[in-house]
Amino acid sequence: MLGIPTVMVVTDTFAKFGRRMSATQGFPYVVIAETPNPIRQLEPAALRPRAEAMIQTVIDGLTLPPAELQARMHDAVKLIHPQGIARSTVPV
Amino acid sequence: MQSSIQLEAASVAELLTRSYEHAYEQGWTDGLPIIPATAEAVQRFVAASGRKADDLIALLPPRKGRATVEVIAVNAIMAGCRPEYMPVLIAAVEGVTDPTYPLELMQVTTNPMTPFLLVNGPVRNKLEINYGTGCLGPGWRANATIGRALRLVLINAGGALPGVYSKTSFGSPLRYSYICAENEEENPWTPFHVDRGFKREDSTVTAFKASNFCNISGGEGVGPDEILRQIATNMPPMYGGGDGVLLLLGVNHAQSLHEAGLTKRDIRERLWELARLPVSHFAAAFASTERGAGRGDEKNVWRARSPDEIYIAVAGGPGPQNVYIGAGMPQTRLIRPA
Repeated sequence: MLGIPTVMVVTDTFAKFGRRMSATQGFPYVVIAETPNPIRQLEPAALRPRAEAMIQTVIDGLTLPPAELQARMHDAVKLIHPQGIARSTVPV
Repeated sequence: MQSSIQLEAASVAELLTRSYEHAYEQGWTDGLPIIPATAEAVQRFVAASGRKADDLIALLPPRKGRATVEVIAVNAIMAGCRPEYMPVLIAAVEGVTDPTYPLELMQVTTNPMTPFLLVNGPVRNKLEINYGTGCLGPGWRANATIGRALRLVLINAGGALPGVYSKTSFGSPLRYSYICAENEEENPWTPFHVDRGFKREDSTVTAFKASNFCNISGGEGVGPDEILRQIATNMPPMYGGGDGVLLLLGVNHAQSLHEAGLTKRDIRERLWELARLPVSHFAAAFASTERGAGRGDEKNVWRARSPDEIYIAVAGGPGPQNVYIGAGMPQTRLIRPA
């Protein structure tokens, strides 16, 4: 809707957090391409299939109409600030 | 946090316990007991600040929370502050919200970096902010509660709920309260805030972005070269996490170095030359990153880019001890009396 089409690439552990932080900047409907955490230790050969698995999400995020993307993320935005959770030892 | 609630109990002790339980359930505390912020107490603290309750000091990341004087007062009360601490706390909030201070990163990152507060000027003695023996340890109310109050402001106004917005993998005990004053009385050079352009009679608080705490015991050897080599070899590059260095020189070593004719500039330059290790000591990727960041060459990784990234203050009590803190990006603010 605003600015340059953008997709966030993030490991699954931090995906909800990524949307939470994006929401603080006014973008709760950011498209997020997820891959299992962690990736830091992966060699290029192992990283490539991870990238290939995310590529359709990236293409969708950069090309689909904003209204359709927003509809797809209807449930995800409910988790931006988890109600009643003041602290957590696991990803929320 | 500004809405009021009514708690009832059969005794004062039970009421205090219920207040603590309620604050814990709401996520308002760092886990330790709190003092309930009654309307009367908030009024007293606001009055002690010399400002209006709704004066906006800063918007705090990540949730862009409004740190008004009233919000800061509520957190100061819960932390156990005295009303007269308010101007220090407000100046600290101003410092950590300077546009060049990386507060948003610090609020959400997996690294446990935290503000370290250094207080200078007459306010140290007026508020009994410890700068002598045990200044970074338990036992002094101002040191324990001002730092704690800042942490509560960061949690409650900034919204950095642990594990929800703050993703620090381990956290750090330094996040409970990390503050001391400078021992200006036993500093043979100029005080830290004077070096930063303030008058000696000014009271200031400086907020550093800090990563660690390392006490350097250095009783061995005699003379400035031995003292500085002992310090330098206890602050290797990987302790810093990209920060500069804050060296809290102990009073004995400060005196010895001064008597040997060294200026603070001399000490910074000598430490910069000594605090480096061969590239072979490190993981290759780390050495490469540091070289790219300007902290090294083909042979060595350096602790800091230049002597200018090494900050020196004098603190603590007698003894052959110094404290090294991986710290940088200092923001100094004037503490305005009420």
